[in-house]
Amino acid sequence: MSLITLIPLFPLIGFLINGIGFRHVPKSLAGIISSAAAFASFACALTLFLGFNGQPQIVHLFDWITVGTLNISMSFQLDQLSLLMLLIITGVGTLIHIYSIGYMSHDEGFGKFFAFLNLFLFFMLLLVMGSNYVVMFIGWEGVGLCSYLLIGFWNKNSNYGNAARKAFIMNRIGDLGFLLGIFLIINHFGSVEYSEVFSKIAEGGYSSGDKTLFYITILLFIGAMGKSAQIPLYTWLPDAMAGPTPVSALIHAATMVTAGIYMIIRSNIMYSLAPETLDIVAWVGLATALLAASIGLFQNDIKKVLAYSTVSQLGYMFMGLGVMAYSSSFFHVMTHAFFKALLFLGAGSVIHAMSDEQDIRSMGGLRKKLPITFITFLIATIAISGIPPFAGFFSKDEILAHVFEHNKLMWAFGVLGSIMTSFYMFRLLFLTFFGEFRGTEKQKHHLHESPIAMTAPLMILAVLSAIGGFFNFPHIFGGHASLAAFMEPLFEQSAIEHVAVDESLEITLMIVSVVAALLSAGVAYFIYVVKKTVPVAEGEETGLQKVIYNKYYIDELYDTLFVKPITALSNFFREVIEFLVIDLIVEGVGKLVKTLSSEVRLLQNGTTGYYIFAMVLSIAAILVWSLKSFLLG
Amino acid sequence: MNYQPSDFLPILVQLVAALAFIVATMLATHWLGPKRHSVLKDDAFECGIESVGDARTPISVKYFLVAILFVLFDVEIIFMYPWAVNFMGWVKSTSDVAITMFLEMLVFMGLLLLGFIYVIKKGVLTWEK
Amino acid sequence: MNAIIALSLFGISNLFLGFLNNRKILLPATLVFILIALGLNFADWNHEYYWFNNMLKTNNLSVNFVTIILLSTFLVVAISRSFGDDDEHSHPAEYYAILLFSAVGAIMMVTFENLIMLFVGLEILSVSMYVLTGSDKRSLRSNEAALKYFLMGSFATGILLFGVALVYGATSSFDIHGIAQGVAKAKEQMGGAYGPLLYSGVILIMVGLLFKISAAPFHFWTPDVYDGAPSIFTAFMSTVVKTAGVAATYRILSISFPSVYGLWGNPLVYIVCATLIIGNITAVYQQSFKRMLAYSSISHAGYLLITVLAKRPETNSSLLFYSLAYAIATITAFAVLMVVSEAQAKNGKADESFEALNGLANNNPLLAFSLTISMLSLAGIPLTAGFFGKFFVFSDAFSNPSSLFKWILVIAILMSTVGIYYYFKPIIAAYMKKGEVAKIELSPLYKFILILTTTLTILLGLAPDLVKNIF
Repeated sequence: MSLITLIPLFPLIGFLINGIGFRHVPKSLAGIISSAAAFASFACALTLFLGFNGQPQIVHLFDWITVGTLNISMSFQLDQLSLLMLLIITGVGTLIHIYSIGYMSHDEGFGKFFAFLNLFLFFMLLLVMGSNYVVMFIGWEGVGLCSYLLIGFWNKNSNYGNAARKAFIMNRIGDLGFLLGIFLIINHFGSVEYSEVFSKIAEGGYSSGDKTLFYITILLFIGAMGKSAQIPLYTWLPDAMAGPTPVSALIHAATMVTAGIYMIIRSNIMYSLAPETLDIVAWVGLATALLAASIGLFQNDIKKVLAYSTVSQLGYMFMGLGVMAYSSSFFHVMTHAFFKALLFLGAGSVIHAMSDEQDIRSMGGLRKKLPITFITFLIATIAISGIPPFAGFFSKDEILAHVFEHNKLMWAFGVLGSIMTSFYMFRLLFLTFFGEFRGTEKQKHHLHESPIAMTAPLMILAVLSAIGGFFNFPHIFGGHASLAAFMEPLFEQSAIEHVAVDESLEITLMIVSVVAALLSAGVAYFIYVVKKTVPVAEGEETGLQKVIYNKYYIDELYDTLFVKPITALSNFFREVIEFLVIDLIVEGVGKLVKTLSSEVRLLQNGTTGYYIFAMVLSIAAILVWSLKSFLLG
Repeated sequence: MNYQPSDFLPILVQLVAALAFIVATMLATHWLGPKRHSVLKDDAFECGIESVGDARTPISVKYFLVAILFVLFDVEIIFMYPWAVNFMGWVKSTSDVAITMFLEMLVFMGLLLLGFIYVIKKGVLTWEK
Repeated sequence: MNAIIALSLFGISNLFLGFLNNRKILLPATLVFILIALGLNFADWNHEYYWFNNMLKTNNLSVNFVTIILLSTFLVVAISRSFGDDDEHSHPAEYYAILLFSAVGAIMMVTFENLIMLFVGLEILSVSMYVLTGSDKRSLRSNEAALKYFLMGSFATGILLFGVALVYGATSSFDIHGIAQGVAKAKEQMGGAYGPLLYSGVILIMVGLLFKISAAPFHFWTPDVYDGAPSIFTAFMSTVVKTAGVAATYRILSISFPSVYGLWGNPLVYIVCATLIIGNITAVYQQSFKRMLAYSSISHAGYLLITVLAKRPETNSSLLFYSLAYAIATITAFAVLMVVSEAQAKNGKADESFEALNGLANNNPLLAFSLTISMLSLAGIPLTAGFFGKFFVFSDAFSNPSSLFKWILVIAILMSTVGIYYYFKPIIAAYMKKGEVAKIELSPLYKFILILTTTLTILLGLAPDLVKNIF
């Protein structure tokens, strides 16, 4: 068994042990088993990474479905992209597993939680390791399931259950697009293996703007919209914060939501040949980035702010994809995984200390009580705001530089987004950690720094957030852009044209965005630290602020546009169609079968003589019928 | 050698003759014999003892077991006749077919013997326990 | 083929093991015996070979069938629980021995090269089954079933022998390849027409075999016998006997009589349709789980016969896969039925109705889950082995150019939707109906078998090619 197969196997075993042995495996052991499983996968991934020779490797496990000429196999592909994803997933995953041991220690469903986490890892690994779209789809659906299970983890609260359902349904809409995309690929290329499909495209002489490729890419992008929370399918992600915080960190920030980006990078050959789709991707990404960032400005729930920030950052990544800056987007996926996981874990640490209080209006002045959390949170905030030399600066500016080449207006909006990012992140930081404590006495008494199991991952992630940018240190600062160079073979076949950016222009762009970010951080400092403003209580917002606080009433809009008509339609079906079709026809058939059955049953009357008579009669009938030519002459 | 259905005609004739004889004699005795009915004469004959109860009383299952075992082993013995008749022929032939045949009969007898031992150990042949 | 000899000797040794005053040794010993036979069976893999003066012939197809037969036997023996603790009225040594003997008969039925061996195998299997059906000596139903089975079975055997005699008359051969040559020669001499001798012979042989696999209208014995026999032997009958019967039917029809396809194919079409309709429709009304399974086995005979009829190159593997999926699911269902009906016994009589399953899931999740998976597999729901079984069968039928198969397919699909109705009854009873089944203690072996069969069913439903590539 090769190392490659072992990687997804470890979490699966962990899941089986914890899942089957739930309530039987002792608590102390459950966490260790899961974390060890995650770590073992990480170790395998790291070994493979170090021994990687640049050649993609395909491990064929077995033929899964063979129908006609279509052969779908269960096989794994190891190349630059999947390796990097593996490292992020298992690395961040391991840290979050360890963190969860501390965070979930008081929870009844401890073992269940770890079983789900392991299951999630398994599916996520399947998603990125599969060598064809169908295996990716299995992983895709699997992580959706785990996301559902974990959002609704505290299933006694019906609101959480609803949030889980919302996530599931929104994702299903996207999945339908993905599935149709796969069907179209099968129909058009007769295969779902990446290698076969891509080489067919490379050799097939497809011109840019090919109609089929346009449809395929758009359908796949719809799938990505659902999973990676882009307009219009983004509303599930903020609600998904109902789940335990480590889940938000792992699934809804660092790994699962980047699956859409992974998919597009994987299919970059097709996207590069579909400029219309790329435009759509870029504009959707930009719109999402701006919309989510603006909603983030006035949210008061610590996790909600981070959730909108995630949506917004995902928007940046899609914007990068839209201008064919694939490796820059991936770079941002990576740095984002570090600092967003860190932010969530830090928020978790705060929530843990505050006895499950999530409203930042009741916090304040926590930096003295939670020093480690504060420092790491600060590093992450600087990183996400794009202030050098921390990770976010490099990745975001790379995307923005590419965007600038593509479209100046887009770039301007992008900078606006990063101004907002910087503002809401520092607002969050100042309200939480600076000023006076605004919570109850009891909470104040209870404040404590989190245990080492929780702070250790924070520190590791803080280091990564700080230095993560140097993995792809740009040429202008004398770096080698090693990540981009490493990923280069992935884009060999696609027709990417890169205009070399003027160095002085690039530096100017950087300075503009850094200054903007610093300025808005300064504004936040002025409002929330110097003037000690505290956001107003629920329901007292006015004007635009109220609209934004209520997330532009998007949920309500969806409700009126889609949910209510569907409910009306389903009422119609229930009352009219059900009576006419179901009751009369379907039940009629059922009743007919039942009546028939009660009659046919009587053939079986228990008398041997009658049975034999029936047999003889049948034999005679068959014989007469077969021999009729002889009998009749 | 090709047999035609007509070659089997003598067998048919013999069958018909045999059946006809039986039917004819039965009918003849029935018609020819005189009949005198009386109570004593129509009574079931029980060696002078008056008959009591039903003829269909349960009989010990051992009786049937012994009977069926007798039939079983009896039938197996029949297999040995054709074997024995041919055995001298095999012995006289030059090939070692005789040895094979002898061994095969030994296996057959061995199996029968195992069955017999099983029957005895099961206690089928002990009439009273 | 040494499996036949080994199993016969093992059967005899089982009889003598019974004299030891240690009943516990019988079950493991029998399991080991079957495993050894299974190993010997694999020795014939990739060897086409004639045995016993051309009486039997092994090839990969027969090895696969024997594997399914021995696997089913193994599973049935494993869930037999040594036939209870009732020393006076149960005779485990004899039961195990008879099971082994009947496995020998079944193996002969799938490897025969000569019609005499078919007859001998069939009789070994049938006579064993008559005995086992009546093994619950104090139960009136069991006795009645045994007698009925015996009467009707001997009648069917007579018909089969009559058919064999007629075919011999027409082709002057007992050898199945010899018969095929004889048929060809007759065709040459008669200028394409055959005498009534061959016609009647083929049909009577077919009828004799169809009786054993309970195809309508020769199925009448099935519900009564399956219902009356002790559950463990019903499980054996509905798996091993059926597999062997279908294999024998397929063997003789495909080897000896392919050139007279119209002769047996035309009546078989109607028989298949009648089997599907009667089996499925009648099952709907049943109140007893066991009786429902009996009708279900009739309907599955119908599906199996479709492949025999379709006569495609893929028929071998479809037949094998379907038999395997069906056998595993059926044994699981009987395993659950046995323990639950005993736990719910009223007045010392096992309760085999659907009501006995009410609320099973509350205290016995494993039993309920295994039951569910087996029912889903029998109903042919995707992600279970049964789905792919049906899928292969239907695609065989679909790829046959004759338009007749489209109609068979329509009936088969309609009837499998009817099947869903009654296969869901036990699931609904187990999970949704209110009721109380006390926690049932299962031996580790029993649990293992349940988990094994359930896993296999799901595994084959996920990756059918794992097995299908072997077949």
